[in-house]
Amino acid sequence: METDRPDSQTPNQLRPLACSCSCSILHRSHGSASWAQRETKVLAAVYGPKAGTKKNENPKKASIKVIWKPKTGQIGKVEKEYEMILKRTLESICIRTIYPNTTTLVIVQIVHDDGVLLPCAINAACVALVDARIPLKHLVVAICCSITDSGCIILDPTKDQEEKMKAFINLVFPNTIVSVLPEGSLQEGSETMAHGIMTSITQGAMS
Amino acid sequence: METKSTSSFTNLVDQSVCPGDVVLDLSKMINQTIKLGGGLRQDCDAISVMKAGRLRFSKPHKYWVENSQKRYVPYAEDSVLGIVVDSRSDNFLVDIKGPTLAFLPVLAFEGGTRRNIPRFEIGTLIYVRVIKANPGMNPELSCTDASGKAAEFGALKDGYMFECTTGQSRMLLSSPTCPVLDALGKKLSFEIAVGLNGRVWVDAASPHTTIVVANAIMNSETLSGAQQRIMVEKLLQRIQ
Repeated sequence: METDRPDSQTPNQLRPLACSCSCSILHRSHGSASWAQRETKVLAAVYGPKAGTKKNENPKKASIKVIWKPKTGQIGKVEKEYEMILKRTLESICIRTIYPNTTTLVIVQIVHDDGVLLPCAINAACVALVDARIPLKHLVVAICCSITDSGCIILDPTKDQEEKMKAFINLVFPNTIVSVLPEGSLQEGSETMAHGIMTSITQGAMS
Repeated sequence: METKSTSSFTNLVDQSVCPGDVVLDLSKMINQTIKLGGGLRQDCDAISVMKAGRLRFSKPHKYWVENSQKRYVPYAEDSVLGIVVDSRSDNFLVDIKGPTLAFLPVLAFEGGTRRNIPRFEIGTLIYVRVIKANPGMNPELSCTDASGKAAEFGALKDGYMFECTTGQSRMLLSSPTCPVLDALGKKLSFEIAVGLNGRVWVDAASPHTTIVVANAIMNSETLSGAQQRIMVEKLLQRIQ
């Protein structure tokens, strides 16, 4: 079964990535990253860890605060949901017991939106945390899958293609790690984390 | 088996590693003591990486991840440049670019007593030593070395202070002398203090020399040794 995509890509082909991450992007932040998947582009900055926690946070652990800045206007319900998803994903990959009673601020600025905005933001935030040297358990990789009416799965759709799709699913996976352990023993120890899905968000009809 | 284990141990040393990578398997090491440095953590029998960087090893059995970052994390026995932000009756509050402000007790000076407490203005730049840095507590500083002498610690007057990354600070403090400092020292007279928290203080007879030295150091971060010497020579030719 074949489905023609307007941008001449195969169904499981990702759009070209462009990622830059260094102190030269944003000078004031402790870590910054720019992540682009063809037209979609996100700029992420990390500040911290800084002293103190908010009133309703746990001071025994480091807390993460995420600010989502859309390209124009104020954040609405959709952006609030993205912000919460991003915060939960980043909290699950950070080692939060090393800097207790601190807050790490992650600011995500949308530069352009051409579909798969949330996975792009998750990738950018993860690279920014690595640049800021926040202690992490592992990295994360985010991808968006869309399903056509005929049941075909297309990876990394554009905004035009998104409007024709029946359903979407945003998936976040841990990265493949380099290990000196034998393959079997690694699966024994942390099978759920090493091979599982960390975040899964669906929209539309999903069978 | 033993040969394979040995090769797997050296497999990741001096390579770039990412968070989550497992670099050591403790179940295969019998009667060995290893010391873990920054960037590594223990997860049952596996030693995994917390921060991206390059894995280093030094005999006997010291492992750490070498990286460069803007945010400083205080460790004991580090020499840092701090800025006094407040003074209380018992402590000076000093900003060392860490997560929290650090405490500098008023008696932590050579010959310090209640009668001759030094008077630091807010904004004074001081070269201090970190003596305690526990998680969840404010770091504690001292202006003396381990034997109680002032040595090179104390307030730094005049001069110019700029910021760089912690990796560059370690490069400037490494021995043998960093190429950029070696090349500058041959032609110019200046005084320099490097803190491990990414702050560098430079002083010279004329502001002109201070600016040249500061710019040379700031430009040298991403250059190799030979490139640093070439950059310094070009810079010095331009000013003469």
